[in-house]
Amino acid sequence: MARSADIIAALRTLVPDGVVGEQAGLAAFDGDALTAYRQKPLACVLPRSKDEVSAVLAFAAAHNIPIVPRGAGTSLSGGALPRADGILLSLTRMNRILEVDLENRCVVAEPGVTNLAITRAVEAHGFYYAPDPSSQIACTIGGNIAENSGGLHCLKYGLTTNNLLGVEIALAGGERLVVGGKAPGADGLDILGVVAGSEGLLGIVVEATVRILPKPPATRTLLAAFRQVPEAGQCVADIIAAGIVPAAMEFMDKRCIAAVEAHCAPGYPLDAEGVLIIDADGIPAEVDDQIGRIGEIARQNGASVREATSEAERARLWAGRKAAFPAMGRLAPDMLCMDGTIPRGALPQVLTRMSQMAEEYRLGFCNVFHAGDGNLHPLIIFDVMKDDELARAEAFGAAILRLCVEVGGVLTGEHGVGLEKRELMPTMFTEADLAQQQRLKCAFDANGLLNPGKVFPTLSACVEQGHMHVKEGRLPFANLPRF
Amino acid sequence: MSKRAGCPLRTCRAFERMNRISAATEADIVEEVQGARARRTAFEIVGAGSKRNYGRPISCRDLLDVSSLKGIVAYQPEELIVTVLPGTPVVELEAALAEKGQRLGFDPPDWGPLFGSSPQIGTIAGAISTDACGPARVRYGAVRDQLLGFRAVNGLGEAFKAGGKVVKNVTGFDIPKLVCGAFGTLCILTELTLRVFPKPSRERTFAIRDIGPEEGFALLRKVWASPLEATGLGFCADSVVMRVEGEEGPLAEKVSMLKNLCGHHALESADGEVFRAIGNGDAFLKSSKELWRLSIPPSKAADVVARIGASLWVGDCAGAILWLATNDLQMVREVAGAAGSHATLMKADAAKRAALGVFEAEDPARAQLTRSVKAAFDPLGLFNPGRMWDGV
Repeated sequence: MARSADIIAALRTLVPDGVVGEQAGLAAFDGDALTAYRQKPLACVLPRSKDEVSAVLAFAAAHNIPIVPRGAGTSLSGGALPRADGILLSLTRMNRILEVDLENRCVVAEPGVTNLAITRAVEAHGFYYAPDPSSQIACTIGGNIAENSGGLHCLKYGLTTNNLLGVEIALAGGERLVVGGKAPGADGLDILGVVAGSEGLLGIVVEATVRILPKPPATRTLLAAFRQVPEAGQCVADIIAAGIVPAAMEFMDKRCIAAVEAHCAPGYPLDAEGVLIIDADGIPAEVDDQIGRIGEIARQNGASVREATSEAERARLWAGRKAAFPAMGRLAPDMLCMDGTIPRGALPQVLTRMSQMAEEYRLGFCNVFHAGDGNLHPLIIFDVMKDDELARAEAFGAAILRLCVEVGGVLTGEHGVGLEKRELMPTMFTEADLAQQQRLKCAFDANGLLNPGKVFPTLSACVEQGHMHVKEGRLPFANLPRF
Repeated sequence: MSKRAGCPLRTCRAFERMNRISAATEADIVEEVQGARARRTAFEIVGAGSKRNYGRPISCRDLLDVSSLKGIVAYQPEELIVTVLPGTPVVELEAALAEKGQRLGFDPPDWGPLFGSSPQIGTIAGAISTDACGPARVRYGAVRDQLLGFRAVNGLGEAFKAGGKVVKNVTGFDIPKLVCGAFGTLCILTELTLRVFPKPSRERTFAIRDIGPEEGFALLRKVWASPLEATGLGFCADSVVMRVEGEEGPLAEKVSMLKNLCGHHALESADGEVFRAIGNGDAFLKSSKELWRLSIPPSKAADVVARIGASLWVGDCAGAILWLATNDLQMVREVAGAAGSHATLMKADAAKRAALGVFEAEDPARAQLTRSVKAAFDPLGLFNPGRMWDGV
């Protein structure tokens, strides 16, 4: 096919009024929140229905054109980075909530519905949708499924995959399958389980059924300030060992505290080496019991403990945590945001090693992370205009992710592998491990047309590894909180 | 991919004439699979063998026994994870967890006696492979939500791993989900890493007697939709049974909230063992009828019970799971299908399981995907051929 113009014309017959083919228009779709990479697609298609999605996929399969699916484009790992030779399939126009079924505690939604819209649709009835990635005001449920998104509450309430009951997917050739539904459990092999978190490589989600939870009647929040970082790590391990699963447990180190205080003054103690912000939720007596025990454990680990005494104070403590990223962005022109997961017990050791590494690489960094589940988000700050700082920052970042794997952890937490970390996959997986994953990919998409170049390392790759590069403190979606 | 995962060449022997091969290590299994590839012979894979009669009947010449791969490899209570070898008996694993005040969230039932085997011998890999979840699943989720990572040998004779050993685990495809409930048709599991949960120090179980299905299931759903986080919501023998857990003070508050939710119905204290009986299917041990296990949208429970009209039935998970004894097999599948549910023929003689299928028949598109996935792991069809569907 005489490419671009013919393809665009053909797509326009399939999705009238839903094709962007002009260079100016395509500039709006040239990447996601992994800002170091920009690439305009051949065309962007915005279908409004399942049938249009199928038609585009069938067309693409017939003409061997790669497809890159996209939700809101908030991916931090480049999962939605377009290809010059591919169609960008944006699902944002499929944004209707199709059914709210309180009896069966679920919501049926099109893939372009935002994460927060699901909670909005059910909160008046006392329910909510638990996974809460910080970009939840913008990110879509389809994108959440692709990346298996997390959030602050996943230790207690699970990731997207644990809150997903069913999907309808369109396969590479356009054929559609309904997998799962309102009944629990797999209807055959657990296809739903592998589609979740498959980063758009196995199929395109065109409808999703998600579980909603009753809103906990009580929530209390503690701020624990530590004189030593390893004490905070030990405190986290002790809380879990005591049989408590807090609703959220977030750590910020001294540099981060300073940056956040300068940015929005949430009232963190400036003399602390690290703070933990801990939420307990549930029925009032259970929350009281847990908050009491958590406070005691924190004090035993040398912390000074303060509880938010009003809803306003609670909101302020959390606002500081959510502002960590933009606050750090003020300290240096450039920043890398890492995402990796470690066994919680390794926290003290990993924090110490990271401080040593920072000296070796002569760079500033700070630590914020979901301490409950060991999901680290170290932020490395540097200035790309100075000597070899970019190279050192990248080396530092890769070293951190290798450390995660070395202590028994994994390369990602909740940002996905995408383009960003595909080269690091062999750090964690053997050739046989990766070959097995790739055979599974082939079972779904034999011609490799769905989101090619993501997740798996390839010989021709030439991308930076394991980080998100933020230029001049300018973030895509700068008004969104991160991680 | 059009590779056919068909039944290999030399199969179809009576069980008693089977050639039993014992594997003690992953390396042994690799060697056996490579041998089987060369010979083009299939294996039936067993641990304790307690659920061999679950699934479609298969007959292979060789039986691969992995029960000697047993023991806890690593257990770190503060990480909420445990790594075990596949042949570890579930009861041993549960005892080790209980010592540290923890539990398996999916609450594996003991289905051995249901399938004519001894009690308490089932292995952890057997529970995972058959998606064996008990009543506490209503609170903690299913097997699939708790298998974080594994090692296995695929049908190419290669040892591989998938997933990880941390509670938050999303790197690469989530293959651990796929092996849950796959009845050993994809790979031979050699090591499993599971998420575990703290077990509150106290529990209380209550019953409401002489209540009809409509009202009873509505009440269970009401409790399910409350913040009580009940760990058991069952229905058996004209009684609704409910279990709540917690530390002393919080539990008292939960009990009082539960009483409020149940309004005019009188709550009687009951023995928590009732949930063990529900999970294990004890009510059906003496039944001569075929046994079905339905997974349904909870709101359809009373209607499905009425339509099927089985004299013996038990509800679990607020109505999302129904056990039914009836010989009217075609009707069960019709009613289940109309209710948006799936029906599994848990127990029937081998001829019926072979003829009617144990799992729902798949539509052509899904069946093709299932076969492609099977072929991605076991292209020659060496593992438990035909256990789930013909060729899978």
